[in-house]
Amino acid sequence: MLRLGLRSKFIFLSCFLLLLPWLGYEYVWEMEKFLRQGQEKTLVGTTRALATALHERPALFDSQSNFLDQVVKGRDLYAYNLNNPIQLDGKLSDWQPYQNLIWHYDERYLQGDKTNHQSADLSFDHMVGKYGEFLYAVFKVTDNSLIYRAKNSLSLTRNDHLQIMLKTPEGKFKHYIVAARQDGWVNAFDAQTNNPFTKIQGYFTSTATGYNIELRFPLSMLGNKLGFAIEDWDSKKVEPQLMSTSNILNPNDIGSVLVPSPEINRILKGMGHSGSRIWVVDNHHRVLAQSGSIHHADGVWADGITDKPAKTWWQRFEQNYLHPLYYKVLTRPENEFLDTLHDVAAMQGSHIGKALRGTPASSWRLTPDNKAVILSAAYPIWINDKVIGAVIAEETTNGVRTLRNKSLEKLFNVILAVMLIGTVTLFFFASRISNRIRRLRDTAEQAIDAQGRVTGTINYSDSNDEIGDLSRSFASIVSRLGGYTDYLETMSSRLSHELRTPVAVVRSSLENLQMQPQNELSQKYLDRASEGVERLGKIITTMSEATRLEQSIQSNEPEPFELQKVVSGCMQGYQLTYPQQAFTLTICDSSLPLMGAPEFIAQLLDKLINNALEFNLDDNAISITLQKDDNNAVLSVKNKGPILPQGLAEHIFDSMVSVRSQQLQQQPHLGLGLYIVRLVCEYHKGSVTALNNQQNDGVEFIVRLPLSKDTSEKS
Amino acid sequence: MKKIAIIEDETAIRENYMEMLTAQGYMVSGYCDRQTAERALNDGLPDLAIVDIGLGHEIDGGFLLCQTLRTLSKTLPIIFLTARDSEIDTVCGLRMGADDYLTKDISMAHLAARIGALFRRMEALEQPADETALINRGLLMLDTKRMQVFWQQQLVDLTVTEFWMVHSLAQRPGHVKSRNELMSDAKIYVDDSTITSHVKRIRKKFIALDAGFDCIDTVYGMGYRWEQL
Repeated sequence: MLRLGLRSKFIFLSCFLLLLPWLGYEYVWEMEKFLRQGQEKTLVGTTRALATALHERPALFDSQSNFLDQVVKGRDLYAYNLNNPIQLDGKLSDWQPYQNLIWHYDERYLQGDKTNHQSADLSFDHMVGKYGEFLYAVFKVTDNSLIYRAKNSLSLTRNDHLQIMLKTPEGKFKHYIVAARQDGWVNAFDAQTNNPFTKIQGYFTSTATGYNIELRFPLSMLGNKLGFAIEDWDSKKVEPQLMSTSNILNPNDIGSVLVPSPEINRILKGMGHSGSRIWVVDNHHRVLAQSGSIHHADGVWADGITDKPAKTWWQRFEQNYLHPLYYKVLTRPENEFLDTLHDVAAMQGSHIGKALRGTPASSWRLTPDNKAVILSAAYPIWINDKVIGAVIAEETTNGVRTLRNKSLEKLFNVILAVMLIGTVTLFFFASRISNRIRRLRDTAEQAIDAQGRVTGTINYSDSNDEIGDLSRSFASIVSRLGGYTDYLETMSSRLSHELRTPVAVVRSSLENLQMQPQNELSQKYLDRASEGVERLGKIITTMSEATRLEQSIQSNEPEPFELQKVVSGCMQGYQLTYPQQAFTLTICDSSLPLMGAPEFIAQLLDKLINNALEFNLDDNAISITLQKDDNNAVLSVKNKGPILPQGLAEHIFDSMVSVRSQQLQQQPHLGLGLYIVRLVCEYHKGSVTALNNQQNDGVEFIVRLPLSKDTSEKS
Repeated sequence: MKKIAIIEDETAIRENYMEMLTAQGYMVSGYCDRQTAERALNDGLPDLAIVDIGLGHEIDGGFLLCQTLRTLSKTLPIIFLTARDSEIDTVCGLRMGADDYLTKDISMAHLAARIGALFRRMEALEQPADETALINRGLLMLDTKRMQVFWQQQLVDLTVTEFWMVHSLAQRPGHVKSRNELMSDAKIYVDDSTITSHVKRIRKKFIALDAGFDCIDTVYGMGYRWEQL
């Protein structure tokens, strides 16, 4: 059975302190939820504020294609914001970052007869972008036979060429043609006048599969409609093939173009310090303006929190030892994460959809690399009760998470301290309690010896708690037990004292009666009565013997004597007294000096020999041995006879304990003989034990008496 | 006729003793407590007083009475006859000036012998020393008539019990007297340890006169003997 001490139990109980960090974590988690809700509301507030600035300002949106019922990708163009300048060199490396924004035009965009068309014949990749005040366009045309404009030809259109159809800000439609005589710089020509139009600059390069055209023109000449068409002339075919972004032949069918609005951008710039990424989209999900970067958009939540360099030892300790520990559990919000790539020409999201239907909304999403959570909010922009667009704001929850981490750090610090202090306190408390209990146990065990005698009192503690109570009740139990033991041990002497007077009455009366002349019968009874009284007197004397010995022990002054002399002298006496009994005496040669009272030792020997004689059976010799063992004199008295009853070996030395079978009860026995032996042994600071011999057919009494030091040193 | 006063609170014992002693030819008066005894004895002292220590409510009434009697007379023989057999009480009683200290175990005959002995000693003291009654054992001289013991010509103040013990030992020097023999010679019945303390007291009394006294020898297991120097 595993023994659990109080201390280990307390330590085990203190494990419940581990619930504290969990509770704290739960609490902070709740707090984070509230903060997130707050962030959501704030973000919606930001979008609303911005939308308020944009409501009912048709001028801002007029130039845009809001009038369209629907926007078709490919047909309606969107001038993406280009982050880097484009070098017009016919190479497409500049456009590499926007690879996924490039639209592929194939036979679906073919005008006229679509039969017998093969993708190798004609198809192109195209996109438009905005950089600075210019609109850039790129075409990667696949054409299996490239036909340049003939060197001497005036005609622009009887070769492979690019047609541009646009609507100026003034509302006029313009038609330009770009045809190359060779690879290199190209210009556009006005389709009506055939005059070169130098505002449109381009570069033409032939490739293995066709050719590339890069061109640019100032945004100032562009209204809200733009269309491109590639006309492919093949030497084998008579009719050219025309593939276009929209039907440029009919001005009404020309697709729209959306260029991010600089006016809205300016307004947004003013909001750019809100700590969010903000978009303004039109009702066709196309971004009109954008400001801020998601990597810096953590809201304003963590603004006050900055990692200062550790100054004090505590901060250093915290940073070097505690934080690594904490961040095994916590995740540090990372500023490096990948955001979803948005196609700004078609912003997706449930919140945008809702906002464009007229309801402010927000949504959460995880970045593709799972490193950050992005919160988006959208708010509709109204013009004449019509949703014309929406403001979208996005923030990461990094701010909130930083805030949460900070508070968790503090919480963990506190909890760690509480746990440490709590455990240590509990440990010391448990140690103290268990120490006190152990001390009490030890004193309680010491207060009563192996024979059940009370050897001392318990020093009870004054402390006013249960253990104090326990010690006091122990003390009172021991003192009461001691009182009872005393009562038992002194009972014989008091009894003898009390009996002596009535016995004297009987004895003196009998003796007086004896003096009268008696007839034979009454003389007989008188004799019997006298005999009885005589025995009674003997009993009384025996009873008080131990008490008198105790008293004389108290008043006796120890004197030096030789133990062998006493023992051998006594043995001679016994041999004389009991001539029919055989004694075997073995006495060692070395001197056995003792301090004490020889007459007490003689008394002890008397009692042991008497005891041995009484129990000895079949005239076996009683063996007495006296030996020296270290600094002890060892006296043993052995006799054959009934063995000691089990469990009583220690108690036979107690006052008034007698273990005798009925046939041995011829004489009165009060069980004081061996008690006297014990008293004498204790007076000489020795010990006495009784045990059965190895053959289990007799008993051996062993008395150990320490030799006196002074004389033993001399010898 | 000798007058004996018995001061004893136990009526039965007192009456028994009184009757026995009256039968022996003494004039006996009995008192049950210290106050009545003192009042009566102030008027006229008896020749011998037998006193119990515990008298009624007074645990040590006998001791007080003994002191009073001693102030009245230096020579009045006083015997303590009590149930208390403790060493301390014995020493106390003898120190009070009692001539003997007896426990109630003693038989009437022995008590009578003792009383007779005391009276004889009293009478002998008034007469000139009788040479025939003297026993000389070296430095020891015993006057069996007066029951007196001299060591180096100096009187050793022994009680009757002690005198009988010394007498018993000195009669046959070198011979071991067992405790039982000593007991019967001293006309007492006590246990071995009481004999031991009697012998110790005798030794002390001799040693008080002569620090080198070493004539009473303990023979362990047998008894004591007088060693003739």
